[in-house]
Amino acid sequence: MPPVERQSLRAVLAVAATAALALGPLALMGVTSAGRQWFWPDLLPQAWSPRAWAALAAPGAGIGGAFVRSAVVASLVSVAAVVIGFPAARALALHRFRGRGPLMLALLLPVLTPPIAAAMGLHTVFLWLGLTDTWMGVAIVHLVPAVPYATLMLAGSFARFDTDLEWQARTLGASPRTVWLRVTLPALAPGIAVAAAFAFVISWSQYLLTLFIGGGQVQTLPLLVVGFVRGGDDAVAAALSLVFIAPTLVIFGSVARFLRSY
Amino acid sequence: MSGDDAERARWRVRLMVAPALIVIVGLLGTGLVAALAQSLGLYGAGAGGTLTAEHYARVLADPEFRASLALTLWVATASTAISTALGVGLALALRRIVTGRRVMYALLQVPLGVPHLAIAAVFLTLLAPSGWLARVAHVAGLVAGPADVPALVYDRWGLGIILAYIAKEVPFLAVVATALLVRLDAGHDAVARTLGASPWQRLRLVTWPLIAPGVVSAALMVFAFVFAAFETPFLLGRPYPAMLAVVAQQRYLSLDLADRPAAVAFALIMTALSGLIVWAYQRGSAACAGDERPMVF
Amino acid sequence: MIHRTPWYAAALLATLAACESRAVPPPLAPAALAAAPWTEVERQARGTTVTMAMWAGDEARNRFFRDAVARTVEQQLGLALRIVPVADVADIVNKLLTERTAGARGSIDVLWVNGENFRTARQGDVLWGPFADALPNSRLYADDARATDFGTPTEGYEAPWEAAQFVFAYDTRRVSEPPRTLAALEDWMAHHPGRFTYPAIPDFTGSAFIRHVLFHQPGVGAQRFAGPFDEQVYATGSAGALAWLRRVRPSLWRRGETYPATPADLNRLFANGEVDFTMSYGPGFASERIARGEFPDTTRTFVLDEGTIANYSFLAIPFDAPNPGGAAVLINALLSPQHALDKLVALGGILPIAPDRLSASDRARYLAIPAAAATLSFEVLAAHRIPEADVHYLLQFERDWRREVLQQ
Repeated sequence: MPPVERQSLRAVLAVAATAALALGPLALMGVTSAGRQWFWPDLLPQAWSPRAWAALAAPGAGIGGAFVRSAVVASLVSVAAVVIGFPAARALALHRFRGRGPLMLALLLPVLTPPIAAAMGLHTVFLWLGLTDTWMGVAIVHLVPAVPYATLMLAGSFARFDTDLEWQARTLGASPRTVWLRVTLPALAPGIAVAAAFAFVISWSQYLLTLFIGGGQVQTLPLLVVGFVRGGDDAVAAALSLVFIAPTLVIFGSVARFLRSY
Repeated sequence: MSGDDAERARWRVRLMVAPALIVIVGLLGTGLVAALAQSLGLYGAGAGGTLTAEHYARVLADPEFRASLALTLWVATASTAISTALGVGLALALRRIVTGRRVMYALLQVPLGVPHLAIAAVFLTLLAPSGWLARVAHVAGLVAGPADVPALVYDRWGLGIILAYIAKEVPFLAVVATALLVRLDAGHDAVARTLGASPWQRLRLVTWPLIAPGVVSAALMVFAFVFAAFETPFLLGRPYPAMLAVVAQQRYLSLDLADRPAAVAFALIMTALSGLIVWAYQRGSAACAGDERPMVF
Repeated sequence: MIHRTPWYAAALLATLAACESRAVPPPLAPAALAAAPWTEVERQARGTTVTMAMWAGDEARNRFFRDAVARTVEQQLGLALRIVPVADVADIVNKLLTERTAGARGSIDVLWVNGENFRTARQGDVLWGPFADALPNSRLYADDARATDFGTPTEGYEAPWEAAQFVFAYDTRRVSEPPRTLAALEDWMAHHPGRFTYPAIPDFTGSAFIRHVLFHQPGVGAQRFAGPFDEQVYATGSAGALAWLRRVRPSLWRRGETYPATPADLNRLFANGEVDFTMSYGPGFASERIARGEFPDTTRTFVLDEGTIANYSFLAIPFDAPNPGGAAVLINALLSPQHALDKLVALGGILPIAPDRLSASDRARYLAIPAAAATLSFEVLAAHRIPEADVHYLLQFERDWRREVLQQ
């Protein structure tokens, strides 16, 4: 085979292999969710059935409620984490102050603390605050893992931000608000988008914190997924997994283009 | 800057970092202190009210703790090492590919958007002795029945857990490594080439030292993450010995409330070990890169 | 974009909050419940919300409660039923214990509980009551069902609700005649190594299986285990039982080096032909799974000749229930023959009320329910029923199993 064709063939095989590895698990979820009577040694189910998807959509299933709850909580956490992290990130990246080192360490604390230890400690604190078993409490506790990531990402953005631009706009007569809206935010927009996306996904995927602080009363998608996998209904678990994954894939896809440049 | 200006600037900074600190130190910090008090028997369910180290002693002497620690260290080390090697290798290979590179890179990022929990759930179907991979092996004539398939889930080496983490962390480390490689100054490599260095020498002596800090930093995040993880070992691991987070959770939810302080002590020992590993890395490395992009969730 | 999200969230928040508010139930003491006429209790509960914590691993069960049962109690009693799904009842008991120590608010009105969990709850004094005898429908249930739960006296703090009996399942295509005694099972395992296993302790089903081994040791028998914990009885039985379990371990699936963690895992092994038997406390579990396409159509169930353990699960009210009156009314409704028969039709299982205590029309309805192929009849199950033993036997044997069998 001539070299060029060999290279093309290699490229096709490489792409196919990557596609199989990256998309294979998703395809398997799809097949499992639609199959019926799928036993050894069949590679494909003997029969197909919409039972699992119908079960998800059924009003009594509680899936819709969990989806909305997860979405509301994750959206709030996403916004709050960016709002909280933004000034801290700016201070971290652009200001020299004495507590800078300890602040970095403090930011790493939620990242380094095992989620199970954090859940136990936060459980006690949230009992004191009377926020257990409430979805608001769950949203607040999700901030604990989300804020550090949002802050560190925004700090990275700020580190690449040239403050001279702001100074130049001020000297040209722009008010602080205009500088903010027309210079700072647009320059940082990709970083903000990525930080918000990560905070959303972090909250969306939380299991232990929601379980401990929500006390089982706040049903989010991760709790349901674990429940169905452990409960043995593989088809419903697979269908639910796809519903669980869809938003994170979409969100990740939309900010992926910022990951390399920012 | 005058003294007043400096003072105002200091207050401005404090105000800027205050919300983040309230969330982290106020909530988590207080929580950890409360947990410490619980584990020392000072407060909470099952506590005697007097300071005692007995719960820590109980955990450290427990054979289940030692077995669990060994398993967790093994799983975390294997997952991190293999993912780093494969991820960096993939990033390097991608550099040399021209056709299809964009498509492959895009495909590689898909697993980043899939939560670990979902991967663990589908890997149960994939890796079970009667799972999909085993059936492929059967069709290929490699195994006669599920009994011939080596155990990958609920097994003593946590192989299924390791594979589930590799599936997620290889793309992550490949993306991190690619981002680092893209920013490399091609000049270093060109100079090395004109001096007659072979591709392998260039990789070892020029490229790797430049991307190593970022890669090792990301690898450390992966290690800490897998070490402390719960969902994947919960779904794919066997009951005994389980990985640390699973054992800690089991004990916390024990119906005998007297077990609670020891369960909290268990989790805090985990935290100390996690911190120790990171501290050891910090001491061993010169600089901490300021633009790490931890993407684990 | 950043500005719009909070607006949507606020709107959703408001909607969610609006949906949750209903009549505030008046406070109620257990003595007042016993003293008041039942119609008055029902009247006061009308228009309130009752929150029930229920095991949620079964999607058909969830649907039945959220749809049919919720509609029925709304129409007939004016109660809004809210189900809180629970993975493990122990978690809720744990929560109650924590709430008692920390003084936090309660949020659950009705709790599905039995056995070890009930005993722990009573010890921690986290239940509201006594209330069971005040419920009109509780008289339909057998006295021995009401009086004790795994040997712990209920004292009216829980009401018997569902009957369960341990059954084994097998595939008639693979196994023509299943072993029906413990000795036959050991013999079968020796001839078919690697084709049998059971869920690891602390799983409830696995624990029940090893209790069968304990009760059916030759020279002891299940009758000796009825009654309060006896050290002597335990020592005799456990010696033989632990020896049996250690003996068969090499013949288990994967040579006993690992066990399925949950009944769901064991069911998967069974369905995929890795093992030839599975087991459950639910007599209708095989029929349910055949209907869902999870088990082959040729699956059938059987019980041991020596008998299998039968027990009741109960409904209780937490000490900090926001709506204890509504809880009592709901529990009474769930104890009714109407609900028991509805559930039997929808989910399978066995009737918790003896047929001769039913009214004539209810009995006729019961007899008209078609039998599922993979579910044993009431008569067969009743003929092979052995009661649960005192919970201390369970706790001690689980501990010994972990030490002697698992950690070897």
